[in-house]
Amino acid sequence: MSIKALIADDSGVMRKIIVRAANAAGIQDIVEAVDGADAVAKFGEEHFDLVLTDWNMPNKTGLEVIQEIRATGSSVPIIMVTTEGEKSSVLQAIQAGVSDYLTKPFEADALLAKIEKLALV
Amino acid sequence: MRAEYINPFIESTVDVFKTMLSCDVARTGLTVHETFHPQYDITGIIGMSGKAHGDVVISFERSVALAATETLLGTKYSEINDDVVDTVGELTNMIAGNAKSSLERFELQLALPTVIVGKNHSIRFPSKVKPLSLPFESVWGNFNIEVGLIESPEDAHAVISG
Repeated sequence: MSIKALIADDSGVMRKIIVRAANAAGIQDIVEAVDGADAVAKFGEEHFDLVLTDWNMPNKTGLEVIQEIRATGSSVPIIMVTTEGEKSSVLQAIQAGVSDYLTKPFEADALLAKIEKLALV
Repeated sequence: MRAEYINPFIESTVDVFKTMLSCDVARTGLTVHETFHPQYDITGIIGMSGKAHGDVVISFERSVALAATETLLGTKYSEINDDVVDTVGELTNMIAGNAKSSLERFELQLALPTVIVGKNHSIRFPSKVKPLSLPFESVWGNFNIEVGLIESPEDAHAVISG
């Protein structure tokens, strides 16, 4: 079964790093979003099996992206990849409905492991 | 600026370079000055606000920016392009973001990073802010981190001129 992933980050470099990790996990069908509003719009256009989102993005934050995706009733696995490492931030993301959380900086293997874990759910 | 605020930024810089880039970096000094004239080729700036306000300014030698981008993306870079600019922005974001986790009592929020290419500008911090300047060296070359942070509700963000 082919897995389709949505990757939202305003940094082109971070999107490339995450795409490379997703490819390594066997995910080739990837849609990229350049900010939070773009992510919400693209999520509404087609079915996704996995979402990876940054927190600090223009237009809508990653937290808002998670809230809006969950408001649609979707249970799609969502991984937040962010510099927001404080306990209060992690708690906010959990309350919003995030499935997993990875704090930058991270080793490439850590991102790959999280993608593989959720892509197989 | 109180010296105790600077340690999280030193630790964060070492951690970001080691974890993301497998590169060991070492701080070579510490100075205080009011106006920052980037010695290097590409500079990332990020504002922080909350119960303290301020900015982090990181200026990279061209060779460091190119090598960091090459390491992150696995492609050879010979000039400063969008990928290199994005890398500098992301490294600035990660260093500030990782440091603020150790300054949780200030409830800091990060702005989006700005990147300036070229040396012909100066960055002025507000008069009440005495930023600390931290030069670093690595096998790729040198870079400099300037941190100005004060506990105050006043606007303490740096102004770029030049």
